[in-house]
Amino acid sequence: MSAVAHRAARPNGWWGMAIFVATEATLFGTLVGSYFFLRFSTPHWPPFGIRPPEIAVPLILTGVLVATSVLLQKALGSAREGRRSAAWLLILVAVVVQAGYFAMQIRLFENDLARFSPTGSAYGSIYFTLLGAHHAHVVLGILLEGWLLWRLAGGLNRYRLVALQSIVLYWHAVNVLALVVVGTQLSANA
Amino acid sequence: MAVGIELEPAGRQRAERLGRLWQARPGLLGWLTTVDHKRIGLLYFFTTLVFFAAGGVEALLIRTQLAQPNEKVVSPGTYDQLFTVHGVTMIFLFIIPMTIGAFGNYLVPLMIGARDMAFPRLNALSFWLFVGSGIFIYTGLFIGAGPDAGWFNYVPLADRTFSPGMAIDFYALGLIFNGIASTASALNFIVTIFKGRAPGMSLNRMPLFCFAMLAVSGALIFALPALTTDCVFLELDRKLGFHFFDTALGGSSLLWQHLFWLFGHPEVYIIVLPAFGIATSIIPTFAKRKMVAFPLVALAELLVAFIGFGVWAHHMFSTGLATTTLIFFAAASMMVVIPSTIQVFAWCFTVMMGRPQFKAPLLFIGGFIAFFVLGGLSGIMFAAIPFDQQVTDTYFVVAHFHFIIFGAAVFPVLGGMYYWFPKVTGRLYHERAAQVSFWLTFAGTALTFFPMHIVGLLGMTRRVYTYSSGLGFGIYNLLETVGSFVLAAGLLLILGNLVWSLRRGPQAGPDPFGGATLEWAIPSPPPEYNFAVIPTVTSAYPNWDLDDRHEDVRKLNRGEWVLDSGHETPASSVRDGVLAEILDMPSESPWPVTLAVCVAVVFTMLLTSHFYVAGLAGLAAAFALIAWHSQEPEEV
Amino acid sequence: MLLAVLALAGCGSNRVNSLQPHSHAARQIDSLWWWMLGGSAVGFGVIAVLLLLGWTRRHREQLPFGGGDRAATALVVGLGIAVPLVVLTLLFVWADVFVVKSTAAPKPGSTRLEVDVVGEQWWWDVRYPASGVVTANEIHIPVGVPVRLVVTTRDVIHSFWVPELNRKIDTIPGRRNAIELLADRPGRYLGQCAEFCGLQHAHMQFLVYADPPAVFRAWLAGQARKAAKPTANLARAGERVFLREPCAACHTIAGTSADARVGPDLTHLASRSSLAANTIPNTHDSLADWIGDPNHAKPGAKMPRLDLKPADLRALVAYLETLR
Ligand code: HEA
Ligand code: HEA
Ligand code: HEC
Ligand code: CUA
Ligand SMILES: [Cu+2]
Repeated sequence: MSAVAHRAARPNGWWGMAIFVATEATLFGTLVGSYFFLRFSTPHWPPFGIRPPEIAVPLILTGVLVATSVLLQKALGSAREGRRSAAWLLILVAVVVQAGYFAMQIRLFENDLARFSPTGSAYGSIYFTLLGAHHAHVVLGILLEGWLLWRLAGGLNRYRLVALQSIVLYWHAVNVLALVVVGTQLSANA
Repeated sequence: MAVGIELEPAGRQRAERLGRLWQARPGLLGWLTTVDHKRIGLLYFFTTLVFFAAGGVEALLIRTQLAQPNEKVVSPGTYDQLFTVHGVTMIFLFIIPMTIGAFGNYLVPLMIGARDMAFPRLNALSFWLFVGSGIFIYTGLFIGAGPDAGWFNYVPLADRTFSPGMAIDFYALGLIFNGIASTASALNFIVTIFKGRAPGMSLNRMPLFCFAMLAVSGALIFALPALTTDCVFLELDRKLGFHFFDTALGGSSLLWQHLFWLFGHPEVYIIVLPAFGIATSIIPTFAKRKMVAFPLVALAELLVAFIGFGVWAHHMFSTGLATTTLIFFAAASMMVVIPSTIQVFAWCFTVMMGRPQFKAPLLFIGGFIAFFVLGGLSGIMFAAIPFDQQVTDTYFVVAHFHFIIFGAAVFPVLGGMYYWFPKVTGRLYHERAAQVSFWLTFAGTALTFFPMHIVGLLGMTRRVYTYSSGLGFGIYNLLETVGSFVLAAGLLLILGNLVWSLRRGPQAGPDPFGGATLEWAIPSPPPEYNFAVIPTVTSAYPNWDLDDRHEDVRKLNRGEWVLDSGHETPASSVRDGVLAEILDMPSESPWPVTLAVCVAVVFTMLLTSHFYVAGLAGLAAAFALIAWHSQEPEEV
Repeated sequence: MLLAVLALAGCGSNRVNSLQPHSHAARQIDSLWWWMLGGSAVGFGVIAVLLLLGWTRRHREQLPFGGGDRAATALVVGLGIAVPLVVLTLLFVWADVFVVKSTAAPKPGSTRLEVDVVGEQWWWDVRYPASGVVTANEIHIPVGVPVRLVVTTRDVIHSFWVPELNRKIDTIPGRRNAIELLADRPGRYLGQCAEFCGLQHAHMQFLVYADPPAVFRAWLAGQARKAAKPTANLARAGERVFLREPCAACHTIAGTSADARVGPDLTHLASRSSLAANTIPNTHDSLADWIGDPNHAKPGAKMPRLDLKPADLRALVAYLETLR
């Protein structure tokens, strides 16, 4: 029965992650939907006294984050060809960039908190909740990569390859959602 | 094993070897750590039965309180907890875990010819999380803080201003908790159905039950996030003082309703779709013929789940939304009817064109069709906006959804219990008693829920703990109460029948009814490894393809497709069911239950606002996950 | 069972019953219902016949009237898609395009009379903005005259419903929803809060009086007056008790210093026929019982029990009974 050594279809793990991503994307869909629902049932958005978010810095940061998708895709390619250390290094670079992004985001988050509060208005509530949900996903992604780096250090096998494949998919999704989130937040400027 | 072909000693030895390989760990520890979909299915079955009994007792208390005007069996506060917890229990802790968790778990792998679910440990995790969420919610009830703002829990009534205390936190956190469990199992079903089908089972040969489960799982994946978001908003409002629902500071109480029903309507099809699946399993078996219009029915099952996402505001017709909005949702509500009418007629014609044997399971399906049509017709009436605005929030609505939930979702479950009882236990149930139990539950259901239409039209609003005597509601309510006890008697008779048959019933053999799907191709009860030979499928009614099943026995004799070098199961391609690879499956693991305990601690700490402890428990959960994943499958 | 439904049509008179319409809108809904019931009976009849045919005429490989699988599939398409499409389109056009119009809320300013109703846990505050009249739990309207009713809430969501007069409408925080209130026959119509709003949702009723225009005008003029000074000794003592005890912190009696808005306006309490949102009749005994302990008749009511001295209570009741 070992005649079927090569993969004719995507592995179960990938499918599992794909469906997880689908439900997470829906979650963000409901958050973004709520943002606009609240926006269009309120006359002043953001409310008086709150400046709409800055445009340049969040956009640049998101651009940097999205770029890690390329690194991860390359890592997956290398792993498929069996080049474990190349993959390992690429992931490491991605993690460093993402961690940097996250650190910058935390700074921004604190700045925002100093300006207005989630308990001050519905705008603040949805603003910080949306950001917080996004940050949680970034943290989860970094943790997953950390785990992966640890496992890959011990060698490459099919199981770990599927894990890599799934985590790369997860990050692609997080990056797309990052764009959606930042787009939603910046729409307050319009 | 199909008859007619001799199983040779070599074949028997192979089967025995499989038995040793897949043998379950004995004792309590075995049940705590099991990953076998059949055992998990049984765990779900018994747990949900307990919740059904709890929800049923609550219902009987409700009915006793309402039997006559101005009764004082329970206090108003208790009454509010009773109907809220009754609704939450029946929907989140009974019907969904019963149909998906118990029936789906036990049957889907068997029907598609697999040895387990795609992610067996995740499956165990779903179960333990579900148990945790059930205990969580009931803890509230037992300490006198049961949720009491109705199962759709409208704000601002559920805000901390109007509902201080923990009752609503039990509701919101409990449903988030429960939602994680349901999401995990929906994900598992989709991958199992996509990837675990036996060679040759292309999508158009898949049993309709599996189509229904696929549609349900898809609906869950896309519906539950709305409820989760809603409950997270509510908890942020309640615990941290956010303002999502606070009109004074830019929030909106209608946001709660939109998100809730964006989940809530797909949810009602999630409730009824597995029942459709059960019906389409039972009908061909007892009508002794293939389903009429099979592709249309499969399509209808997927469509109903899909269109169900576009109708939610029909629960909000009297909130004063713009009329154009209402008309859009009314039109969608009428569209969503079409897939149901297709199926109803397909079932009817299948029965008519066959040689139907009205044994208990088919009787229940007959009752199901009758109640589904009655409940569906009142559903259509709600799509007439002015009429809905007249009867919404009255007992007319209660009548609609109990006809369609009890009649159309629970009846097939009851029929299914009889139908698959021989498969699960190896013994036959008592047919005559089963038929009596059908007529009892049928009469009970009609008597309990039919008068509710009338009393609703007379003007009795729902969720009232009592009513005054001059209104003419009394006689109808009394009838309903009597009916509910008749219904309870019928249900107890079913339970009694099954318990009695478990010990006294005659041996059933592998296939007592001549079923069409693969679960009937294997012994009853099924061995741990399900299939000694991975079956090859050439039609949508594989167990009626005798040649194929004979070939399975020959293969076992020859040692082909036995996959006995470990815990192995095949994985195939999504559309055509072409074999893609052989997978090594995990066996018993302590980590799912450990992880579930950690998650339960997280939610308990969130409930009591110990956020740091919740964080620590989350950390423990992460370590459990790492341990879980340190056991890697063997390369095969 | 259908008989039971039919029996509904002739139900008694002094009750809530959405099948006894007393306005244009309610009549439209009513005929909608009877037509839908008829259609449903036909639909269910078809299914019942099919099921019974399956039950009685077993042992066939064909439809009872001939034809095999293809004919059956065609029937599924015909009965399951085509017929419902036609039926539903008809229903849609009639109900959701035409009848909705007749139950729509009148535009602001389009009616001669406008009434504001504010839902509160668990009673109704009723205001006539044009004349400044404030009352509670009982709404008077002139018969045959469409009234624009605006419903709002001061706490949670309630729903305003008079089954015999019109559909219902929710009170949503932050929104001013409206509905037409019209009765074409004089009489007393029972209304009920239809959205679950907490402990005493069951006892959040109200009454609508449709009066002949002259009677209505007289009523409105009477309600617009301030409360008359009590003359009897006991009642005068009662007024002092009212103003001394916390009553005045929650209630208004126009003409006295009591002007709080937490509970119902009591200026013309004695002109009302029921107390506490139609929970108890407005009689001497039940008024005394209510003030003695509001939780007795209505557990959880938002009016506290004040443990008054018996003499004070008697005086208070005597005073309240003068507020005609
Ligand atoms: C199993 C669950 C289930 C199912 C399947 C349905 C099915 C349907 N429901 Fe129901 N519904 C609920 C559970 C369900 N519902 C619950 C729980 C509530 C209340 C929630 C709450 O408020 O607590 C509710 C409430 C509810 C409302 C809101 C009422 C209100 O609160 O004001 C509406 C409004 O449109 C509605 C409509 C429908 C429609 C159009 C269908 C259709 O899908 C029905 C389609 C089926 C048929 C039509 C039967 C087939 C008929 C024939 C074959 C005969 C021939 C027919 C024709 C010629 C047309 N439902
Ligand atoms: C799956 C869903 C489901 C089911 C099955 C039921 C079943 C029943 N329901 Fe329920 N009901 C709801 C879902 C359901 N209900 C919902 C969502 C609401 C709305 C709540 C809200 O307004 O918020 C509601 C509300 C509701 C009300 C309205 C309350 C109100 O508005 O004030 C009433 C009143 O009569 C009622 C009655 C009943 C009755 C008599 C049954 C009977 O059919 C129950 C019969 C069952 C039994 C009697 C149990 C027997 C058990 C066994 C035989 C197993 C034994 C096992 C062991 C001992 C291990 N229900
Ligand atoms: C804390 C506020 C509060 C205080 C103090 C209070 N009431 Fe009330 N009262 C209410 C509320 C709220 C209601 C409506 C209760 C309901 O129907 O659920 C009410 C209802 C009533 C009613 C019935 C009115 C109607 O039209 O149905 C009467 C009469 C009444 N109060 C008299 C009194 C008297 C007399 C006192 C003092 C002894 C008093 N109240 C003190 C809040 C208060
Ligand atoms: Cu107010 Cu119910
Ligand atoms: Cu719905």
